[in-house]
Amino acid sequence: MQGEDTLLRMHGIAKRYGSVAALQGVDFTLRRGEVMALLGENGAGKSTLVKILAGLERPDAGTIEIGGEIVTLRSPGQSLRAGVAYVTQELSIISSLSIAENICLGGGDDHFVWTQARLAAKVRPFLALVGLGDIDPGLAAGSLSLAQQQLVEIARLLSRDARILILDEPTAALSDAEIEKVKAVVRKLAAEGRSVIYVTHRLGEVFEIGDRVTIFRNGRSFDPAPVKDLDIDELIEHLLGRRLDQMFPPRGAGIGPVAMSVRDVIAPGLAEPVSFDLRRGEILGLAGQLGSGANAIVKAIAGAEPRRGGTISLGGRPLTLHSVRDAIANGIAYCSDDRKRDGIFGVRKVIENLTAPSLTRISTGGLLSGRRENELATQLAGFFEIAVGRLGSQAGKLSGGNQQKVALGKWLGIEPSILLVEEPTRGVDVGARAEIYHHLRTLAERGLGIAFASSDNQEVLGLADTVATFFRGRLVRMAAAETLDPEELLRDVTHPASTEAGGAR
Amino acid sequence: MKAMRAVVGIFATDRNTEGEARSQARWRRAATIAMLAAIAAAIVVGGITTPNFLTFNNLLVVIRNASITGIVALGMSYVTLSGNLFALSAEELAILSACVFAWLMHAQFGLLASLAATLLLAAASGAVQGGIIALGADPIITTLAFGALFRGCASLVSENKNIALGSKAAEWLGTGRPLGVPTQSWAFVILTLAAWFVIENTRFGRLLLLTGANRAAATATGLRVGEAALVAVTLLGIGCGLVGISAAAQFGLAAANLFAGLNIDVVAAILVGGISLRGGQGSPIQAALGATFIALMQNFMLLHDLSTGVRMTVVGCLVAAATCAFHALQRSRA
Repeated sequence: MQGEDTLLRMHGIAKRYGSVAALQGVDFTLRRGEVMALLGENGAGKSTLVKILAGLERPDAGTIEIGGEIVTLRSPGQSLRAGVAYVTQELSIISSLSIAENICLGGGDDHFVWTQARLAAKVRPFLALVGLGDIDPGLAAGSLSLAQQQLVEIARLLSRDARILILDEPTAALSDAEIEKVKAVVRKLAAEGRSVIYVTHRLGEVFEIGDRVTIFRNGRSFDPAPVKDLDIDELIEHLLGRRLDQMFPPRGAGIGPVAMSVRDVIAPGLAEPVSFDLRRGEILGLAGQLGSGANAIVKAIAGAEPRRGGTISLGGRPLTLHSVRDAIANGIAYCSDDRKRDGIFGVRKVIENLTAPSLTRISTGGLLSGRRENELATQLAGFFEIAVGRLGSQAGKLSGGNQQKVALGKWLGIEPSILLVEEPTRGVDVGARAEIYHHLRTLAERGLGIAFASSDNQEVLGLADTVATFFRGRLVRMAAAETLDPEELLRDVTHPASTEAGGAR
Repeated sequence: MKAMRAVVGIFATDRNTEGEARSQARWRRAATIAMLAAIAAAIVVGGITTPNFLTFNNLLVVIRNASITGIVALGMSYVTLSGNLFALSAEELAILSACVFAWLMHAQFGLLASLAATLLLAAASGAVQGGIIALGADPIITTLAFGALFRGCASLVSENKNIALGSKAAEWLGTGRPLGVPTQSWAFVILTLAAWFVIENTRFGRLLLLTGANRAAATATGLRVGEAALVAVTLLGIGCGLVGISAAAQFGLAAANLFAGLNIDVVAAILVGGISLRGGQGSPIQAALGATFIALMQNFMLLHDLSTGVRMTVVGCLVAAATCAFHALQRSRA
C-alpha cells in the first residue's frame, strides 16, 4: 500500500492507562510532504498516539519506524533527534524571554554565552519560514498574539530540523484571521517536503488543509483515507460509529420555575458581567472553547473562584458564596473538568468516594455507620449504574467513564437543587458518555437545575435544553437548543463576529 | 431506551477492576503479614544469636522501647495519613515535655497538676504547628523550625542539667507493671486500638484519610481540610507529651539529651510499616508494627555492643531503602 515515500510507520501500537485501553493495536502511516489530519472524539486515542510519537508516553506494544529504521522514542529528546516535533495545545512559550531565546531554548546551542544579536541572526530564517520574517526576534514573546506565539513555537521546532511536525489542535484558541495564518504555514511546510500531523476537532479544517485523514474511535484507528474521497457525512459516521440520536436522551418536557438566577456576575476569566436563569428541570449548556468564560462562570457560581460582583440567588433568595463549602451548604454541587485533580479520591475506595460529601448523613455523633454508608453508596451507585461489586475498588483504577460517574454520583448524596458540571464527559469512552447523558437527563426530570460547560458542541446540542454560548469572556447569546444548528453554534463559539448582527442575547 | 442500553453494552469496559481491588487488598494484607513475619524473624534470630535477648528483663526493655517509639509513631501515622509527610519535631517535643514535667514535679506542683500542665503544653505545641500546616505551610520546614524551638526551650528549662523528679508516685508511672506489663506498653496497646478505631470508624478518621488521599478533592467536596492537619499534629503532640512524661518518670529525672534518634526511628517505623508517604493510605496498626520492628532491631544491635553510630547508620540505611522501595513501587504500579 505504501510506496517508498512513507516516512513514518507505526505498527500495532497499544497503550493502557490502568484498566482503560487508550490504544488497541493501532497502525498509522505518514508520507513525506503530506498533511495528515487526525480526527476523533475526546478519548478516542489520537492524543495518546501523538504523545507516544513525541516521546511523552511509552507504548505498551508496537513498533515505530521513521525513514525505514525502527526507532525507540522514550523521551521528548529522543523524538526530537528522530526528527519529530510536537506543538501542544497549551503553548510552552515563555513570555518573559525574547522570541529568539524562546526559539533557541533547549536547542543544545554550542555557545556558552548567548548574545541577542547572534540569536537573532540564527532564528531569522526560521521566523521567515513561518511568515514572521518582519518581526524583531528581540521582542518579548509575551507581546505577540496567540497565533504568533503558535507560529514561534512552530519556528522553534523547525530550528530543530523536524521532519515530522505534530500540531495538536493549533487553532483552538485562535481568531479567524489567525487561523488562516497558521493554515498557510502548514501548507507551506508540507510543500517543502515536511510531514505534518494535524490533530483537530474541527471537521471543516480537515477538508481545508488535510491530504489524508486518519480517524480514531475507541482506541482504534481506521486506515487513512484521502480527504478528497470523503464528504462530511461520511466523516461523522466514521467518527461516531453510530447515529447521534442514540447517544442523547430525548429532551424533557417538564421545565419548571426559575431555580437559580445569576445576575451581573463578574469573575476571573469573564470580560463582562454575565446574567442568566436556570430553571428546575432544565439542562443549560454553556458552550465555549478554552478561555471563553463558560468554565469561569461555572467556577464562580460554585464558589471555586472568587466573584468580583453580581448576585446569585436560589429560589429568589440571594446567596453569599465565598467558598465551595458555602455552595454545597446551599445545595449547589459542582464537578470540575479535572477529575483526577479534585473530582475523585483515586487511592480510596469507590464507596468512600460516593459518601465523601455526605459524611454527616452516614454518621451519628462522629461515628460512621457502616450500614448507612453501604445503603447510601448502593443507592447512588444504583442510580449511576456503577456495579455494586466495584464499591470496594480503588476509584483510581476505574475507567474514565466510571470515574466520572463516581465524581458526579457522589453529589446526589447531598440532594442538591443545582448541579454544575464542567466538561461532563472529558476522557470518557463513548458508551459511558451515553449513560452519563441519560443520567443527567433523569436528574433534570427529577427537578434539578443542571448547568454544564463544554467545549464539545455536539454534546451541547445533544444534551442541553438551552444553550448559552461564550466567547472571550462574554456571554454571546442564549437560545433554545432545538433552534440552533451545529454550524451556527460553531461560529458562535469560535468567532461570533462573523455571525449576523442581532445575535447578542 | 433499549437501543441505547444495547449500544452501551457493546462499549462496556473495565471488567478486571474487581480483580484489581482484590489484589490491592491482598497486597495490603501481605505487607502486614510480611511485617509480622519480620518481627517474628527478628525475635528468632535475636534469640539464637544473642545471649540475653530472650530473657524476661530484656524483653521488658524491648517492649518498653517499642512502646515509646510506637506511641509517637501512632501520632505520626496520623500526620502521614493526612498527607503532611512527617512532623520532625516529635523528638524535641518529647524532650521538652520530659523537662517541663520534671521541672514541675521538682518545683512541687504535685503529680496531677504537672501531668495536666505538661499534656496541655504538648497538645498546644502540636496545635500551633498543626494550625500553621493547615494554613498551607510546608510540614517539614515548619516542624523543623519548631523542633529547634522546643529543643532550645528544653535546654532553658533544664539549664542543661538533670532535673530529678523526687516522687514515688511519678516513678510508678514510669516503672510500674500492672498485671506484669509495663505501663508504657499498656498505653501503647490501648492507644493503638484507639488510633485504629478512630481512623476506621469515625467521621474524623474518614476526613483525615480523604484529605490525605487528595486534598484538592477534599476541598472541592466541602470537607474541612484544615481540620485534618490540625488534629493530626495535635494528637502527635499529645503522644510526644505522654512519652516525655513516661521517660522522665521511668528514669526519675529528665535532661535535654533524652530520646536521641527518636525522630528517625519513628520515620523508619512509618516507612517499614508501609504507610503511603502520599497520604490517605495505610493504618496506625502498620505504624505500631513498624515501631515494634525498629525497637527489636535497636535492641538487637545494642546487645551486640554496636555503638550509637552504627545503630544510627543502620536505621538511616533502612529509611533510605524504604524510601527508594516506596518510589519504585509507586512507579511500577502507576
